[in-house]
Amino acid sequence: MRPRFTHLRTRLTVAFTGMFAVVLIVIGLAVQMAISDTAERSVARDLNAGVIGFERIWSMRSDQLRQAAGVLAQDYGFRSAVATGDDATTESALHNLRTRIGIPTAFLVKADGGVAGLDPRLAASAAPLAQNLEDGQSEGIVQIGDGLYQAVAMPVRAPTLIGWAVFAVRLDGDAMRALTRLSAIPFDATVLRRDARGRWQGGGAMPPELMAGLAPLDGRKSARLAFDGPAGRTLARTEPLAGFDRAQPALLVLQYPLDAELAALRSLQYLLWGIGAIGLLAVALATARMSRSITRPIAVLDDAARQMEAGSAVRVEIMSGDEIERLAGSFNRMVAAIDERERRIGHLALHDALTGLPNRALLRTQVDTVLRRCLRRGQQVAILGLDLDDFKGVNDTNGHGVGDALLARVATLLSEIAGDAFVARLGGDEFAILLECDGRQAPETLARTIVARLAQPFRIEDQEILIGTSVGIAMAPGDGTDRTTLLKNADLALHRAKTEGRGTYRYFEAGMDAAARARRVLEADLRQGLQDGAFELFYQPLFDLGSNRVTAFEALIRWRHPTRGMISPLEFIPIAEDTGLIVPLGEWVIRQATREAMSWPAPVRVAVNVSPIQFRTPGLLATLVDALARSGLEPHRLEVEITESIFLADTDATLATLHSLRSLGVRIALDDFGTGFSSLSYLRSFPFDKIKIDRSFITDLLHGHENIAIVRAITHLAQAMGMETTAEGVEDAEQLAALRLEGCTNVQGFLFSRPVPADQVVTLFEMSHAPVAQAA
Amino acid sequence: MRRLLAILILYLPWPAFAAALQIVLTDPAGRALPDAVVSAYPVRGAMPPLRIAGPYKVAQQDVQFRPAVTIVPVGATVSFPNHDRFRHHVYSFSAPKRFELKLYGRDESHSILFDKPGTVALGCNIHDAMTAFVRVVDTPFAAKSGADGALVLTGLPPGALRLRVWHPRLKGHGNETEIPVTLPATGLRRAIVLPVRPA
Repeated sequence: MRPRFTHLRTRLTVAFTGMFAVVLIVIGLAVQMAISDTAERSVARDLNAGVIGFERIWSMRSDQLRQAAGVLAQDYGFRSAVATGDDATTESALHNLRTRIGIPTAFLVKADGGVAGLDPRLAASAAPLAQNLEDGQSEGIVQIGDGLYQAVAMPVRAPTLIGWAVFAVRLDGDAMRALTRLSAIPFDATVLRRDARGRWQGGGAMPPELMAGLAPLDGRKSARLAFDGPAGRTLARTEPLAGFDRAQPALLVLQYPLDAELAALRSLQYLLWGIGAIGLLAVALATARMSRSITRPIAVLDDAARQMEAGSAVRVEIMSGDEIERLAGSFNRMVAAIDERERRIGHLALHDALTGLPNRALLRTQVDTVLRRCLRRGQQVAILGLDLDDFKGVNDTNGHGVGDALLARVATLLSEIAGDAFVARLGGDEFAILLECDGRQAPETLARTIVARLAQPFRIEDQEILIGTSVGIAMAPGDGTDRTTLLKNADLALHRAKTEGRGTYRYFEAGMDAAARARRVLEADLRQGLQDGAFELFYQPLFDLGSNRVTAFEALIRWRHPTRGMISPLEFIPIAEDTGLIVPLGEWVIRQATREAMSWPAPVRVAVNVSPIQFRTPGLLATLVDALARSGLEPHRLEVEITESIFLADTDATLATLHSLRSLGVRIALDDFGTGFSSLSYLRSFPFDKIKIDRSFITDLLHGHENIAIVRAITHLAQAMGMETTAEGVEDAEQLAALRLEGCTNVQGFLFSRPVPADQVVTLFEMSHAPVAQAA
Repeated sequence: MRRLLAILILYLPWPAFAAALQIVLTDPAGRALPDAVVSAYPVRGAMPPLRIAGPYKVAQQDVQFRPAVTIVPVGATVSFPNHDRFRHHVYSFSAPKRFELKLYGRDESHSILFDKPGTVALGCNIHDAMTAFVRVVDTPFAAKSGADGALVLTGLPPGALRLRVWHPRLKGHGNETEIPVTLPATGLRRAIVLPVRPA
């Protein structure tokens, strides 16, 4: 496994020290080998020298013995004693000689095989010598008793051969040690003799490993051996020695343990290893020191990078003048660049690209900060919610480019007006201003200024643009102490300002919150009601003044709330329109009305109201077709009532839809005519079947001249364009009379009937004929 | 001269009761062995009387005994004349006759009586290399091999014989060995290989 280092410094140190250690070990091993080799060669050389020395001593001693033996063999008296078989004299002469020249073993082997001058116990072992002597052998290694001897024999003639004077030196431990004293190293010398069975004998305590090595040798050539003995690795050298008996050669074995030689070199080795260890330590220290100086700047960079990662701005100062300094420079530039980019990204994240104002996210944090600070100090904080009036119209009419430019101008203007206060754009045409109420600027003053200033026209791309704004104000801590509540309440106040006529400002009031909550509850109930079928249709008859008959019923939706009972459409229809629930609700009305109308006598019609929102959905036409097909109601018995607000949006699309409806054969009535814009151009652009005059004119019909005039104008206009007219909200006979007089073709109202449940329609219809005719 | 004599003896008319034994002596390598002495003893019948001829002489000349081997009958006297300019010290440690002729000079002569059979090795105490042998025999039938290793014994009675063969280098006790031989009336020629020590 690859070692893991958390510091570059450690890695460098370990790597260099390791490398040096390897080199040291290699050198050490080489030296070790060289020393071993040298020692081995030196021992081998010394052993060779030992052999040569031994041979020299051997031949020297051999000469000595020969000389002494020669002297004896020549001695007339001795020869006389031997020749005459005078053993006592012979032995006495031998004894005399031994003591005189210091040769411990001297004896006579007689020609007839007898031995004189030797301990009788040894004599037997010396007897076989006679045969060798007879064969002309005159020197060599001989075994007498237990010991091996270097022996030299001289013939004794008188004058014929009568025996041999044999002089011998025992090759025992002392003799061999005496021999080695002369050599360079104190090797161990031993002489072995090959016995009759071919085994080497006479070594005394010889290591078995050496004996095993010697076993295959025949003793005729010198040999070298190396073995691992009790004293460690040992070198041995053998040299053949002549045996007195040729069949039994002898072997000189010199051995010397290598360790003994190496011991002399051990101090050198210790010195070498000591120097190596000191060197290693020095390298480790030096490398550690050097790598610290190399890696310190890197560590600084590493640390700086970590700090940067953690988000703090850092700057490193490295003046090393090398790549690391350049790297540090790059690092600093990189940090600066990242910083700059972060700032930009942060700005983008917290600011609105179009106006450059802080966005909703930044507003939130700012509100939190300011709230914390001001509430602690007991100061008030105001949040002003702004919404441009009719901005959508600007976008639709003047294009998005102008809309964007307008928003930018408004933003600039708001910032100017707000001064120190914090202005943010929340999206679309919504803005918010966070104001610390430190007394310099009252929220109300600011709101009033803004409303007044934005009410003035803007000039953008040579277009005069008139908008306005509504402002909702929420105050902390009164209207809430947390950001969410405050923003919500400002929004509620804004909503109130918008619903109460726009171009104004409103403070938040506690009821707003409750109303909004009730509204949310109602919305949820509405959805549930739609699922549960909590709605039903009531029908109010439309009375034809020409035929004096009920010719149609207007379908009016009713909501039977599970806990609140009947809820007025005035309350839930705006919510349905706001939430889009008006679409499924309107669809249900169409289907329900067509189905129920089928039970009515033809040609009584049914009228349904279509909301502008529903009118704009592409599915309306399909719904109508499907509803007619399913119910089987003839299209001309269905009357669709629309308001003129459908023309506020895309007029072309509206007209296209109207024509499509007309092509189905469905009748189309313009509801609530007289309120709103009531543009006559609408009447020109589409041939409505009927115009319904708004109830506000009818209610006050008899109290003012003007209302009569308006009603008369409308009926006359309708008459001229071939349209019917229906007056809504007719409550008494005077009104009916006046309307009949003015030429109104239809009437509707409590005078005839309140809206009734579906099951009463037919009854009502049947009942209506005679009495109404009479009333008329 | 000696060979001629041998041939003469071989072809001379011989008494009917006597036969000749011709012997050739070699070493194991097949080389002729001179100076070997063969003495014969008839197994049956009386031994003829010894004939002491003479004079018997072992001279010292040029640091050598001459002859190297001398056959004498028991009871013979041998003289040891010195012909060298310097003195010799002739001795014998041999059992049949031990004697010592101390340092005697030129043309001095001593005589020694050899009264027991056997081999007497002669040496000179001054000159180690000088060696000679006197073979003292108690039979009239004895001869010394010549340079060709051959010898002839004559006048032997046919029949079983014991031959004593001696040679200074012959291995064995007393440097001699005994060989039984049956001699036909017509004579016998016999080759004998002697185990001798290297010279």
